[in-house]
Amino acid sequence: MRFRAAIAGEDLAAAAIGGPTSPRRGRAARLTRATRQLPLAPALIMLILFFLGPVLWSIYSSFTNAALTGDGAANPQWVGLDNFRRLFSDPNVTNGIWLTVVFVLGSAVIGQNLLGLAIALLMRGRNRWLRGTVGAIVVSAWVLPEVVSAFIWYAFLGQDGTLNQVTKALGIGSQDWLYSSPMLAVIIANTWRGTAFSMLVYNAALADVPLDVQEAAELDGASGWRRLWSVTLPLIRSAIVTNLMLITLQTLSVFTLIYVMTAGGPGFASSTLPVLMYQQAFKFSEVGYGTAISLLLLAIGAVFSFVYVRVLKPEA
Amino acid sequence: MGVDTPSRRAARLVCAGILVLIGVAFLAPLVWLVLSCFDASAQTNVKFPDHPSLDNFRAVMNTDMLWRPLWNGLLLCGGSALITVLIATFAAYPLSRYQTRFRKPFLYTVLFATGLPITAIMVPVYGLFVRLQLVDSMPATALFLATTSLPFAIWLIKGFIDSVPISLEEASWVDGASPMQALRHIVVPLIAPGMSVVLIFTFIQAWGNFFVPFILLQSPEKLPASVTVFTFFGQYGAVAYGQLAAYSVLYSMPVVVLYLIVSRTMGGAFRFAGAAKG
Amino acid sequence: MLSKGLRLACAGAAVAVGLTACSSSSSSGSGGKTLKVAYQKFGNEIHVDAHMQKVKAQFEAAHPGIKIQLDPINVSENDYYTKIDLMMGSSSTAPDVVYEDTFLINSDIQAGYLTPLDSYLSTWSDWSQFPDTAKAAARGLDGKTYGVPMGTDTRALYYNKDLLTKAGIAMPWQPKTWADVVAAAKAVKANDPGVIPMNIYAGKPDGEGSTMQGFEMLLYGTQDTLYNSASKKWIAPSKGFSDSLQFLKDAYSGGLTLPPQQELDPNVGNVVGGQLLPQSKLAIDLDGSWVTSTWTPTGAKPWPAWSSTLGEAAMPTQDGGGKGTMSMSGGWTLSVTAKSKNKDLAAQFVELALNKDNSASYDVADGQIAVRNDVAADPTYQNSNPTTAFFTGLVPVTNYRPAYAEYPKVSDAIQVAMEAVITGQSSPADAMKSYTESLKGIVGSSNVAAGTS
Repeated sequence: MRFRAAIAGEDLAAAAIGGPTSPRRGRAARLTRATRQLPLAPALIMLILFFLGPVLWSIYSSFTNAALTGDGAANPQWVGLDNFRRLFSDPNVTNGIWLTVVFVLGSAVIGQNLLGLAIALLMRGRNRWLRGTVGAIVVSAWVLPEVVSAFIWYAFLGQDGTLNQVTKALGIGSQDWLYSSPMLAVIIANTWRGTAFSMLVYNAALADVPLDVQEAAELDGASGWRRLWSVTLPLIRSAIVTNLMLITLQTLSVFTLIYVMTAGGPGFASSTLPVLMYQQAFKFSEVGYGTAISLLLLAIGAVFSFVYVRVLKPEA
Repeated sequence: MGVDTPSRRAARLVCAGILVLIGVAFLAPLVWLVLSCFDASAQTNVKFPDHPSLDNFRAVMNTDMLWRPLWNGLLLCGGSALITVLIATFAAYPLSRYQTRFRKPFLYTVLFATGLPITAIMVPVYGLFVRLQLVDSMPATALFLATTSLPFAIWLIKGFIDSVPISLEEASWVDGASPMQALRHIVVPLIAPGMSVVLIFTFIQAWGNFFVPFILLQSPEKLPASVTVFTFFGQYGAVAYGQLAAYSVLYSMPVVVLYLIVSRTMGGAFRFAGAAKG
Repeated sequence: MLSKGLRLACAGAAVAVGLTACSSSSSSGSGGKTLKVAYQKFGNEIHVDAHMQKVKAQFEAAHPGIKIQLDPINVSENDYYTKIDLMMGSSSTAPDVVYEDTFLINSDIQAGYLTPLDSYLSTWSDWSQFPDTAKAAARGLDGKTYGVPMGTDTRALYYNKDLLTKAGIAMPWQPKTWADVVAAAKAVKANDPGVIPMNIYAGKPDGEGSTMQGFEMLLYGTQDTLYNSASKKWIAPSKGFSDSLQFLKDAYSGGLTLPPQQELDPNVGNVVGGQLLPQSKLAIDLDGSWVTSTWTPTGAKPWPAWSSTLGEAAMPTQDGGGKGTMSMSGGWTLSVTAKSKNKDLAAQFVELALNKDNSASYDVADGQIAVRNDVAADPTYQNSNPTTAFFTGLVPVTNYRPAYAEYPKVSDAIQVAMEAVITGQSSPADAMKSYTESLKGIVGSSNVAAGTS
């Protein structure tokens, strides 16, 4: 059994193979090697021009008071570490870091990931009709444009929304969910929106887990949970790592959903870092400070990725 | 297969029951959307329309509000999805097949770039577009959208190519084919389902993107549906919830249709994430 | 061909905007040019667009060979500002004429995005029709004028005559102090608990609307203001500031307003104007003069009975002192960008767009208060809306925002303070303390001074 862990960067797959001709020495070989990498060129050019360039510019501008309007637009000044000093003394940023981590853990790591895995596991061996219907419903939530999902949840959780109609009918009473528990509201909405991705990943991964492995464990008398824990999960370990990393990075930068549903409020109760960044850079047009916040966001992404690669590193 | 004991049958029923519950929970928020689009006086509550009608659809189905924005979106997102898949396939091939020193750091950087909040770089990107005289150009905007989805696409496609046994290409090399020919005739047909997933994925991402076209395009007649959807929010008047719902349904339609087209191959393509092979 | 076009342009312009303006355009050679006009067109805010369409036709008829390209930007106010700031930042994308809110115009002047119009206005005979207060709205720190006002607005109390009468309040209602307002609200609540006694905007979702319609309508009725123009210092902390917050706290915690969760819904403005007032579910609304344009036959929510259902009362000062009543005014201008390549033509466009007839028709359609003396005196304008006379009558007691470049951030700090108070997250004292800290961060500690204590 061999693990393919392409995305985790652990390149255990197809060992490098020289190519059509055997390696030659000197210029010709270097030329061949360069020619082989040539197809990378368009991608590199696009990434450097439209991605790396703007990112470097952003890093630079986080050390200035660049702004869209006012003095900072006419003559941006180098302000050194001012933006970063402000960042760490700003209670809204500290709060924003915490909310961002909660949002990622709640909606990506726990919500999408576990729910996606659960659905994929439950689907195994169900009849085709049930699989197909539930799968289609879950996927349709994922396919909808983000703005539309945000409207839907705004209406669903609002004062007169569907959820309150249901709770009222059940006699539990109603509340304004977007106001009373804004973080829970956006976490549930993002879970709803993103679960399909994890489900599809795990469906594919589980399809490759041979049934006989499970049955062997079953014959050994292993209980369902133990079978899952000690047989199935280790087999799809690399899928878990990859999935966690991708959904974490995607969830970190979720903006539209939160902005439409709660606009970061009430107060700053759901102002995650992307919402704060948007407000600073575009509402108050403080581009310098806004980009400093987004660098912080990137740093958090790096920490998460590092943890996944270290903790869940697939065994060779 | 195994013996069907009563306890096993019960467990199965429970599993199916849970699955049905999950399906209902995922469906519930959509009910409002579907009912409201047939209700001209819709509010945020869910109720069966008193006078079901197509008025909302009639109100939004005109060139300025719907058709042109949808067409613009198709050009923009379709263009960017095609560029992404093409460029990413080219880039992924050498990354998958040849070992070089910079490959691993490159791949990590690319992976990391998937998590970059694009909103954060829009100001410099706008500055760049101004300098290159590209503001209000749909091809350039499509190119930028393509770049933002390129990192993820390269990752996925490299994963697909990794899973194609190299022995197939070696056979063609013996026949004198160049690596590019091998890519075209052997690898691409094998990873076509995967590529279509990347295509759709990129398309869906771009389809919902409001900020990029809003900043980079200027002429109202070039704006895609993701920008014009905000027409339904008044500052001082009432939100036309019914029209908003109808518009949302129509606006979501293209991605749903696209998804249905590839849904059969989609499941298998999600193996990119890496799976145990027997 | 060109000369013929020019001659025609000259003749047309002479009719439309007067000979003086034309002479400058013909010298710059204006054949075959395109003027770009950028403005906001959002949701039901369609009146500016209609106005621009009309002026475009007039201008093109008067200037053959010159094309007006309209750039309606279909987004909310914050996004509109992001977009025009980006556009004005570079010469290849800058529009020639731009629609600017007076509350942000100073930061755009400071950014160097706008062109001073003094040389054009000095030869524009109509300019004398604009009173000094209106001219000041678009004046930069350098004393130059950067925009021509399209209209202004005032704010006051709307009340439902029926609901107040039932609560035992004599008509017409004119409260003398804040306490009178609260007493009326309490009477309504006691009479019919199903009615929302009053609406005061508060909190971030409504943005500048909360600051102006909600907070400043209270603060400028106290002994304090936001800014002392004599000492050039921002005022905090002050008794007026904490009294205003305390008023909000009492109103919200006393159940005299919408529940805070509804108030903090970004759509609250739509709910108030589109549902609560027309359905007689709200007794008193502290709001802007333009609200009635929602209910006109061409508005978003036609409501023919509005003028007989609602009455208007000026907002009293805190204890009836000063002039007894007060109001706040804002408004929008048309400006010419600094990077425009056709400044002369752009200035002519502005002058045409805001000549007497065009100003009048725009002000009527959009529920604006006329700033031009000749429009204000025009009977068609005066009779266009039953509330025009009332809201225009507030101009003598009105106040203007200290619309300096820092103001938008100060406004946000105010919204944060209001939101913290109405949600019970902070006491008025604590909220004022954090406002003072934020203010020092925004304008610099040396530019902040305490008000009355």
